[in-house]
Amino acid sequence: MVHALEEIHRTLVPQGILLDLRPLAASWAVEVTSGAFEHQVGRLTDDPQAPVYDQAANKSLQKAARRRWFIRESEASFPFFYYWDTPEEMENYIREEWSDFIQQDEALFSATQDAWENASVDRRLRVRVKMHLARWCKR
Amino acid sequence: MTVQKDPEGTEIRHLVGSAVFADQNVLEIGCGEGRLTWRVAPLSGRLTGIDPEAEALRVAAVERPDNLCETVQFVRASALDLPFPHATFDIAILSWSF
Repeated sequence: MVHALEEIHRTLVPQGILLDLRPLAASWAVEVTSGAFEHQVGRLTDDPQAPVYDQAANKSLQKAARRRWFIRESEASFPFFYYWDTPEEMENYIREEWSDFIQQDEALFSATQDAWENASVDRRLRVRVKMHLARWCKR
Repeated sequence: MTVQKDPEGTEIRHLVGSAVFADQNVLEIGCGEGRLTWRVAPLSGRLTGIDPEAEALRVAAVERPDNLCETVQFVRASALDLPFPHATFDIAILSWSF
């Protein structure tokens, strides 16, 4: 990853900006919402390796900063929501798309189904992903 | 399967709050099928999306809006070996690609 940062540094103009945008492994919440009401059903279970990727990314950027390629100017986090029409669609998506970094939790899927069935007609189902955004300036 | 990703537009609001994209030459690393590309490109001068996955880039090229044909290009490449000259881009976005 450090080599990729070196390449990015090379292709940026002087004072160019690098935006590091990525989801963090943070036990993303499964929520059923209805109007202004938000009910957290539970949290997805990160694969044990997932936080390791976050740490590796942070270390690479720290190394790039030590080499004076970039200086960090700001950092923020914000929620990013995935929405599905039904619990079955959410479950299928998680199994097919996130199996590399999210452990399958049958109890959570069952609890989501229960919460969905008990919610009002304007219900929505979503996963709250924690996003990281940092701005780095080429030195 | 239907999934909606960030219909609130939170991600693009935060990006716009982090940098001025107007008239800038932008590199998006890990553009995939172009989900974020279509949100950033209209705000930018020019955008180059790279991804190592050929199928994702094929989908992105097919779904490219007509009004972005002049300003968006896709290149199959890895961030480890960027096929661009020195000092080409004003902004680089590491787009979900760490």
